[in-house]
Amino acid sequence: MHYFSQLFNYEHPWSHVVIGMWHKYPNPHCSHVVTVDVLDRSVDPQTGIIRTERVLGCKQKAPIWIVKLFGGSEDAFVREISFINPATQDATITSVNLSLSQFATCYENIRYSPAPNGTTTFVQTAEIQARMALWRSAADRLENWLVQRFEQNAQLGKMGFTDVLRSMWEAKDGQHAHSFHS
Amino acid sequence: MAHSLSDECTPLKREYDSCFNAWFEGYLEPAVNATTPEQRLKYSQDKAAEYERNCGKIWNQYRECVQKAVKDKGLDVLLEQARAENPLKEPPPATPVDKNPA
Repeated sequence: MHYFSQLFNYEHPWSHVVIGMWHKYPNPHCSHVVTVDVLDRSVDPQTGIIRTERVLGCKQKAPIWIVKLFGGSEDAFVREISFINPATQDATITSVNLSLSQFATCYENIRYSPAPNGTTTFVQTAEIQARMALWRSAADRLENWLVQRFEQNAQLGKMGFTDVLRSMWEAKDGQHAHSFHS
Repeated sequence: MAHSLSDECTPLKREYDSCFNAWFEGYLEPAVNATTPEQRLKYSQDKAAEYERNCGKIWNQYRECVQKAVKDKGLDVLLEQARAENPLKEPPPATPVDKNPA
């Protein structure tokens, strides 16, 4: 498991930052995010909390070994859930990768909260974790496959060498055996 | 505005996003400044209804389009897994680092 976190202030009031959230993409600094879609949104008539589920499409070239090992592609998708609570002036964004999620998860949390002098604190944490259970079962399968291949090859090797020895020596050894016995 | 994951949905998405943003930008400041619980409840109810009135129709069209696109890309299965693993129906609790900004 790997952790990442950062914290800083934006020189804008909370409401401006939260309005700006919906205008972040497309962004020349984050050109890897190419599509943004809202999948679900609710405005709670009791609390005024807005919950939004989005899917972000990213294009990011993965290293060749990752593509070969996991069959990934340039297109990666992320699920993002945000809550905006005007009563407590709290905005949270939680994201998790959908692509390659069977191998590893990148779980990110962002929180915007009001800070003194009309600024806004941004806190970002992320946990990146490979799915160990899966690695273990993949390792087991790999070992089993290697054992089978080894057994097959050992069997074939025995047969092969038996043939070589037979064709090399059978006539001669046969003769020798014959002459020995006669 | 960013593209939709399907070009077909992009015009609907842009219309919906514009509708939501216009509504949200009017919604936020008074929602923050509501002082009494009664005031907040009344405001939230009115504004939730207004959102539905203003953006409900375009939202339904856009949602239908994007749901099909999600399925076509094979993302529906991955989304269902992610939702099952972490429904996120409630905001995540504040962590110590959130509560003590530097």
